[in-house]
Amino acid sequence: MNLQLRNKLISIFVIVWLGVFYYESTCVYYLQPLFKRELPRMKFLFPPAGWVMFYNIEDNFGYAEVYGVKDGNPQLIDPHQILQTRAIGYDNINRNALVTVLSPGMDQSFCPYLKRRFPYFEKFLVTDVEYPQLTEEPFDRRQEVVYQCAGSQAYE
Amino acid sequence: MNKIWNRLFLEERPSIGLSFFRIFVALTVGLHVIPSFFHLDDNYLSGAFKTFNTDFFPIWFINGVQQSPDWLVIAFVVGFYVTWFFFLIGLFAQISCVLMTACCYYFYALNCFHIGTLSWDILLVTLFLMCISPYHGDYFSIDALRRADIDAYQKPRPFFTQRLLQLQIASTFFFTGLYKITGEGNWITGNPIYYLMNYPTQGVTKNFLLKEWMAVHPHFCHIVGLMIVCTEMSLPFFLFYPKTRRAAIVLGLCWHALLVLTLDVPAIFFFLFPAQLLLFIHPQAIVDWINVKRRINEQSPRAKVIYDGSCGFCRSSVRALEVMDLFKKLEYVPGDQSLKEMRLELPDGKNYGGFYAFRRLTWILPMLYVMVPIVYFPGAGIVGPLVYGWIARHRYLFPVFYACKMGDCVR
Repeated sequence: MNLQLRNKLISIFVIVWLGVFYYESTCVYYLQPLFKRELPRMKFLFPPAGWVMFYNIEDNFGYAEVYGVKDGNPQLIDPHQILQTRAIGYDNINRNALVTVLSPGMDQSFCPYLKRRFPYFEKFLVTDVEYPQLTEEPFDRRQEVVYQCAGSQAYE
Repeated sequence: MNKIWNRLFLEERPSIGLSFFRIFVALTVGLHVIPSFFHLDDNYLSGAFKTFNTDFFPIWFINGVQQSPDWLVIAFVVGFYVTWFFFLIGLFAQISCVLMTACCYYFYALNCFHIGTLSWDILLVTLFLMCISPYHGDYFSIDALRRADIDAYQKPRPFFTQRLLQLQIASTFFFTGLYKITGEGNWITGNPIYYLMNYPTQGVTKNFLLKEWMAVHPHFCHIVGLMIVCTEMSLPFFLFYPKTRRAAIVLGLCWHALLVLTLDVPAIFFFLFPAQLLLFIHPQAIVDWINVKRRINEQSPRAKVIYDGSCGFCRSSVRALEVMDLFKKLEYVPGDQSLKEMRLELPDGKNYGGFYAFRRLTWILPMLYVMVPIVYFPGAGIVGPLVYGWIARHRYLFPVFYACKMGDCVR
């Protein structure tokens, strides 16, 4: 390829790339508040919320606990049994991956999955465990059932 | 202005650093994605528990991918393994990178639960930059052997890919720090490190040595938090300023080691980011260092590789050895047809032949280090000589790219 043409193409790519990269990096937390409106976003490439690694860590903490019920007795299911996929070098459970199942609408996908993974149980209780103030009140532990998954009949 | 622009992006520099980086990108992708294939039924097949990243993908794309029958998912798994391996070894490096990235997107859209993290999004940005340039296949690759270019390690290439990767990691550091102290970030108003130390086991922090002590020392945690923000925001400038660059790279490497030791963070943190920091080393400095070592080795007694100089396959194999011989540790001596196998004579007088010569070479040539576990695998001492012997007996029948170009691949 002609050297001048190659350099022109590279220059155009670099300018477009840098523009989009820094626009996407600042859009959610800086540009949108500045322009006071939702700005168009680019799909398929950049982290949707920007580079938000550990940017907001509060004193409260919540996670999910799942119980299987057999003969009326609820038993806590080890989260590593629920999510068997192991990552290399870190533990997905310790990254609180299971908390996702508490999001609205997740029961549609999670209940059939639990039923398939643990046919032994009659039903499941998906609970939210919250520590509202870990450093001030470390023993203030609150737990509530977010949704229940019915027995096998419902999914067979 | 033109001069600065040229220097930043258009100037040609050796691509050896980028080639080295390719291996780490491949390892990161593999270590992140492959474990999710071990439980295909839990993660990707019908009946799997799935979550979708609708902020990253448009709904129509996710819906389209969700229509995949199980056989298509399995086909993509096979496709991923093949293209990932090709990318790792640098065989058709650019096209394999593009296809592997396409597979990554497919699995991300199919189910983002296991592989979809912020670090994964960052990795996809890196992969995109790798896809647009073929230069990462210049060295440490099968492509380099196919091209048989002895100067591949110092081939000058436009520097823009490496520069954009540098900017990517520097910006990641900077914005990560900035987000912590502006907007919704609470690293000045709150005490995030202190909170983290008090989280239960699901809370990202590993059980490292000082954790319990830090959990009852909030002031210390606050100072550590502020130091983290300062480091993240200043590191990019130190990385780009030549006088502080070396220290900044070391600091960045220590930084990631600390992250891995204290937090449950994805594979990307200990494979991709440290390697990406090494991209700040000027490639010409690496080449100059290699050339100094080559000159020193050329003047010292070297190991001799004696081969059949009348066989095209042997000559092309020696050519491949020359490409791999980054530090010129070997001397190549053509022998005659009566030579039944390659011989390796070390300066200390030791002699090796055939498979055992090849086995010794895996210790000498950096690009063959990966073969060490294979050639020393139990049973390799029995199978290896048999395979080598068969190849040596049929060496005149092998068609080889380089030999064929010379017109003597079959004799």
